[in-house]
Amino acid sequence: MSDPERKNPAAPIEGNNAAALEELHTPPMRLQFGPSHPATHGTVKITLDLEGERVVWSDVEVGYLHRGFEKECETGYYYQNIPYTDRLNYSSPILNNTGYCMAVEKLFGIATPERCNHIRVIGGELSRMADHMLCIGASAMELAAFTPMLYLIEGRELLLDMIDSLCGGRVTTNFVRIGGISADMPENFPEFARPRLDRALKLFEDADKLLTENPVFRRRMEGTGYLSSEDLIAWGVTGPMLRAGGVPYDIRRVHPYLVYGELDFDVPVGRHSDNFDRYLVRLEEFRQSRRMILQCLDRMPGGPVDADDPRVRWPGKGRVFNRMEELIDQFKLVTEGGMPPAGEVYHAVEAANGELGFYIVSDGTGKPWKCRCRAPSFSNISPLAKMITGGQLADVVPTFGMINMIGGECDR
Amino acid sequence: MAVQVVNVRRPAATFSSAKPWLAILKGMWVSTRHFLGNLGLFLRGRQDFAIHFPEQRLVQPPALRGMPVLARMADGKERCVACGLCEWACPTSCITIYPAETADEVERYPEIFDIDMSRCMFCGLCEEACPEEAIIMSRQLEIASYTRAGSLWHKADLLVPVEQLKTRTDYIRRNYER
Amino acid sequence: MSAEKPGDSAAAAPELSPLLKTALERLGDRVLEHHSARGDDRIHVARESILETARILRDDPELSFDLLLDVTAIDYLGQPDDFETKLRVWDRNSASMRRQPQRRHELVLPPRGPHPRFAVVYHLTSTKRAHRLRIKCRLPEDDPKIASLTPLWPAANWLERETWDLYGIVFEGHPDPRRIYLYEEFVGHPLRKDYAKQGEQPIQEYVGPGAKEPRRPH
Ligand code: SF4
Ligand code: SF4
Repeated sequence: MSDPERKNPAAPIEGNNAAALEELHTPPMRLQFGPSHPATHGTVKITLDLEGERVVWSDVEVGYLHRGFEKECETGYYYQNIPYTDRLNYSSPILNNTGYCMAVEKLFGIATPERCNHIRVIGGELSRMADHMLCIGASAMELAAFTPMLYLIEGRELLLDMIDSLCGGRVTTNFVRIGGISADMPENFPEFARPRLDRALKLFEDADKLLTENPVFRRRMEGTGYLSSEDLIAWGVTGPMLRAGGVPYDIRRVHPYLVYGELDFDVPVGRHSDNFDRYLVRLEEFRQSRRMILQCLDRMPGGPVDADDPRVRWPGKGRVFNRMEELIDQFKLVTEGGMPPAGEVYHAVEAANGELGFYIVSDGTGKPWKCRCRAPSFSNISPLAKMITGGQLADVVPTFGMINMIGGECDR
Repeated sequence: MAVQVVNVRRPAATFSSAKPWLAILKGMWVSTRHFLGNLGLFLRGRQDFAIHFPEQRLVQPPALRGMPVLARMADGKERCVACGLCEWACPTSCITIYPAETADEVERYPEIFDIDMSRCMFCGLCEEACPEEAIIMSRQLEIASYTRAGSLWHKADLLVPVEQLKTRTDYIRRNYER
Repeated sequence: MSAEKPGDSAAAAPELSPLLKTALERLGDRVLEHHSARGDDRIHVARESILETARILRDDPELSFDLLLDVTAIDYLGQPDDFETKLRVWDRNSASMRRQPQRRHELVLPPRGPHPRFAVVYHLTSTKRAHRLRIKCRLPEDDPKIASLTPLWPAANWLERETWDLYGIVFEGHPDPRRIYLYEEFVGHPLRKDYAKQGEQPIQEYVGPGAKEPRRPH
């Protein structure tokens, strides 16, 4: 922030100062940063033109993880696409499951029971905590702070244990179903979760103590990657990055879904819109997520976890074994998929990196005509070239780390 | 709605810039504390810092989804009736079934039941689709093989006595009467 | 679940959502159709007026749609019309209901319909007022061109590149019309309905430095 030099607009290479450059005998050097670079966690190629240590031009290329998610979705039934959404943002899969299933539920016009909503919030917030831990840990490691990474990974393991006991997979969760969740939470889950949440928070606080006041870390984070709040909005940036720019746009607050409207939580916003504020916003969101989980565990209502809607939810196995109607229903649902009415919906949830929207167009059959995923990482990384041009080469690493671009989600 | 917007507090810049050594000392104290704590646990004989894999195994929760296997009944036959629902539900199309007729009470059985484990993603949709509780996600996670043909599991390899799948069947039976 | 038929907006006026009411007031007859279903509001505009429409939506203080969420396209190959304006009731005998569930990896090309094949879809939201709006423009198959929104939102840059890459929609006035996910030599646009899911691409000869050197045999 303090260094006005950094915000200077980029000087074009062939432009007016070409002569000056030649005089100084420093022809700009082209550097290929990525696609697989040890200092980035994400598969992206950044082409940089360097003048000494200063970046004068840059170009960002994504697409190294493109797997055709949308094409794949168009050829599968609605229920078959849920496992694919795990692979979008693979560090917070339950949030993606929830986003997709809620979009399909909106298409069907289904309301899920309270208990299901609470468990979805718990799973989603656990995923968000794990995602923030990984983001902070990996970014700190790229800035040569290795110890916090170890603590955060240990804490993340505890969170993944909880996710594992909920749905049977650590990162390939496949947890949420259209109109419900795959299984009710285990009976001992609250007792299992509370000590682990405390331990994870303690490890998180330790990493916070190591990083937040560390002068080296602060000097690399403060003032780098600056983008004004108007620019952030114009570039379509959402999530912690936008909130660090002082815009309190959080879908859990603006369009509350599930039970977020009834929970107490704070939406942290920053003031300086630099990497350090993005880091601080993530720190605070971690604590708020924990608060939300504890509230949900306290409020946990009883009752069923699945909507009673035979159009989408497969009948319970006990009934399939013993009753003819349910058996036929099971066969129909598996081989035709649930058939929503024709139409289109857009539903967005607040994922760990921003607004994760699903835009689904249905033609009335069991397969979506189109299933579009509005990935937060994709929009968040698009201003990267603008953010790093004019800065130092060393600032690329924290800026990229704090965008937290997840290849699976950005490239789909 | 009790959602508030709060500003994040940025620790005063003067503290760390004026006394960087203080911040570094604090950090060193944190890592020393971790070191001493772990050392104490080690001396007291705690062994779970690392799981020595082939000898020791991680304790997995009952919800664990391992590779899908076929349940074998007490008479040595599979429970599967080759209805093909799991084949249909599988998102990656990794199940291949050739049904055949049998004189038994169930009338049909799978002559060939192959799962291509190199494509399976352990999603568990086949288990959810099966109307016979015949395909079950086991606790088996070690499926590596030296050849590509080795990752194609045939019916004979997939059959597991149903008693060995008790943890999982107990788990899925919780939602039977949904 | 209620849908107005195009043209009878006057009859449906009392049910208009407040957002649509304001938007219709500001946009006048630029809006060809409007529509709200399942809580989503949506307007149709002609492609000639997309830039103007977007500018009004962004700059009007009461609407202030400042955040462009998404740009994408829909390929309505062989479909009678937009699924939502002609909202079909649960009719097992209609054409699309009768389509049997196909096995995956199969491509059955439906016949071309009389309606424009593509639609470009924009999703807008406002960070000041919590509302969302969807804008749709239909584009014919033989001339899939529309003005780029990059002058208004830099966010459109990558999103439009993606839509060009996957659907082949040309955005006129785009500053950087490259493909974004796929390589430049890729033939076709994979999200079009006539591109087979298992479609194969011709092998590209590498023409860069060192191209003449013998390749290592695989
Ligand atoms: S676990 Fe999933 S991918 Fe594997 S066989 Fe079953 S349905 Fe197919
Ligand atoms: S769904 Fe069950 S019974 Fe049917 S073929 Fe598969 S394993 Fe056999």
